[in-house]
Amino acid sequence: MDKEKVLIKGNYAIAQAAVNAGCQCYFGYPITPQTEIGEYLSGKMQELGRGYVCAESELAAINMVMGAVSTGVKAMTSSSSCAVALMQEALSYAASDELPVVLVNVMRTGPGLGYIYPAQGDYNQAVYGGGNGDYKIIVLAPSTVQECIDLTYRAFYLAQKYRNPVILLADGLLGQMMEPASLGSYPYPEVDVSSWALTGAKNREARSIYSVAREEKKQIQHIYDLHKKFDVITQKETTFEEFNIEDADIILTAFGSMTRNIKAAMNVLRKKGLKVGVFRPVTLSPFPHKRINELASLGKDFIVVEMNMGQMFKDVKFAVEGKVNVDLVNRPCGEWLSVEEIVSSVEKTVEGRKQYAASV
Amino acid sequence: METNFILAGFGGQGILLAGTVLANAFMLQGKNVTWYPCYGAEMRGGTVNCEIVVSDEEVSSVHKQDTDFALVLNQQSFDRFVHRVKSGGTIVSNSTLVSDSRPRSDINYVFAPMTELANNLGSSKVTNIVSLGVLASVSDVVSKEFLERAVVKVLGEKKKDLLPLNIKALNSIENMCLV
Repeated sequence: MDKEKVLIKGNYAIAQAAVNAGCQCYFGYPITPQTEIGEYLSGKMQELGRGYVCAESELAAINMVMGAVSTGVKAMTSSSSCAVALMQEALSYAASDELPVVLVNVMRTGPGLGYIYPAQGDYNQAVYGGGNGDYKIIVLAPSTVQECIDLTYRAFYLAQKYRNPVILLADGLLGQMMEPASLGSYPYPEVDVSSWALTGAKNREARSIYSVAREEKKQIQHIYDLHKKFDVITQKETTFEEFNIEDADIILTAFGSMTRNIKAAMNVLRKKGLKVGVFRPVTLSPFPHKRINELASLGKDFIVVEMNMGQMFKDVKFAVEGKVNVDLVNRPCGEWLSVEEIVSSVEKTVEGRKQYAASV
Repeated sequence: METNFILAGFGGQGILLAGTVLANAFMLQGKNVTWYPCYGAEMRGGTVNCEIVVSDEEVSSVHKQDTDFALVLNQQSFDRFVHRVKSGGTIVSNSTLVSDSRPRSDINYVFAPMTELANNLGSSKVTNIVSLGVLASVSDVVSKEFLERAVVKVLGEKKKDLLPLNIKALNSIENMCLV
C-alpha cells in the first residue's frame, strides 16, 4: 500500500481501512451520517469477492456480524446513534459469547430519533452499554481522519486478540469531513482463531458458542473470567495523548474530534499566560482512570469539553477522586464549540475558581 | 497561519466539488487542510455549502463561525454568508446571479460573472471551476498552479477528456478587471 496522502472523507477512510484490515463481511443498514461506509463497501466488497449484505434492519445486521465472526473471519457493521441503540442486545450477547464484533458508530444527535447533525451523546451508550448484564466493550474514539484509519485497524486487531466486541466511536463531523490521510496497510499480525472458531467439526470435537447459563457456578466463573480479561485489556491497551502536561495547572480534556478544538484553545490560552495542557483519552473503554488520578495527585485541575450534557465528565470526576476541581464546558449537540467559546469558558471558569478561593 | 473559506451556492452548481478541488490544491501544497460539507437533506435547487480550513499548523477547528473568504454562486448564499465574513475579509460573488449590493463597509467585495464566463466556454457546468480561478486571483493563499494540479488529480484518468475545458475555466478570469 502506498504511504501517499489522499484527501479522504472519514466515512470512506473507515470503510477502506476495514477492507485493508481484511474485513471479509459487511452487514449494515443505511443511516446518515455514516451511509458512505455502506455505500463504499457495497461496491468494494463485491469487487473483492467478499460479503456485503444490506440488511433488513440494524438488528439483523449486527446479528449477521455475530454469525460471521463466530466462524473466525473478520466482519463489521456500522451505524449511527439511534440505530446503534437497536444493536445493544446483540452487543451484550457478543460480549458474553466472546465474539470479535466490530461496530462503527458515527454519532448523530439524540435522544430518540434526534437528527443528523453531529453530537457526542453516545459516550454512555458505548462505554457503559445499553445491553443487559455485566459486560464491557472496548471503545476507541478517533479525533482525525488519519485516526479513523489507524483505529479501525486497531479495532479489528483488538476484537480478535481479546475476543471482545469493539466500538469505533466517531461522530458526524468526522464521518463527513475530508482531510489528507494515509491509508498505509494493516499493521497488526493475524490472530490465530483456530482454538475457538466454528469452522466445521470434521476431525475434531464439535464446538458451540452460546450465552445461556443454567449453572450458577459456571456463570459466576464466566463473569469473573470476562472481567479478568478486561483487566488485562485495561493494563495493556489503555491509550491516551498528552500535550504540555508537565507545567500545566489546568488540563483540558475531550474525546474524538473535539480534541482538535481544545488543542487550539490550549495554544491561545498559553499565549495569554495560562498554563494549560491537554489530556485526551484514545480508548474510552478502558478509560485512563489511573493516569488522570496521577495527574490529579499533582494538583492539576480538569476542564472537560464535550458535545453532550457531561457524560465523560462523570468519568473524569470519578477518576480524580475529589483531589482537584473538575468543570464542564459543553453544548448538547450541533455546531462544535468553537476555539473562542472554549477559551472564554475556560477563562470564566478560572476566574470563578479564583473568586471562590478568595471567598473561603 | 490559518485561513478559512466558505463556498456556497445552489445544489447542482458543483460547490462540493469546487471545495474538493480547493482542498486538494492545499494538500498538494503540503498544507494541513480540512473540508466539511453541510450535510443532510440537501437537494438540487436547494442551497449547499462547504467549509475549507487551511493551516501551516494543525487545523484548529473544522467548523467556524466566521470566515476569511466567502465564495458565493447565488443570491441566497450571498445574503446568508455576507454576515459571516470576518471584518477585513472578502466575499467573492457570481455577479451573473448575485446583484451588486454592499451591505457592510468593513469587508471587500469581488463580483465576477462566473456563470456567464462558463457559458462562454460552452458549459455552465464549469461555473464552479471558473469561480476557483476568480478566488485564486484575489487571494494570496490560493495558488492557481496547485489548483491546476488539483483539477488533474480530481478528474483523474476517467474524466481526462474534461481536463482542457476545466483548465480553460480556471484561467477564464485572466485579464478581466475585478471590482
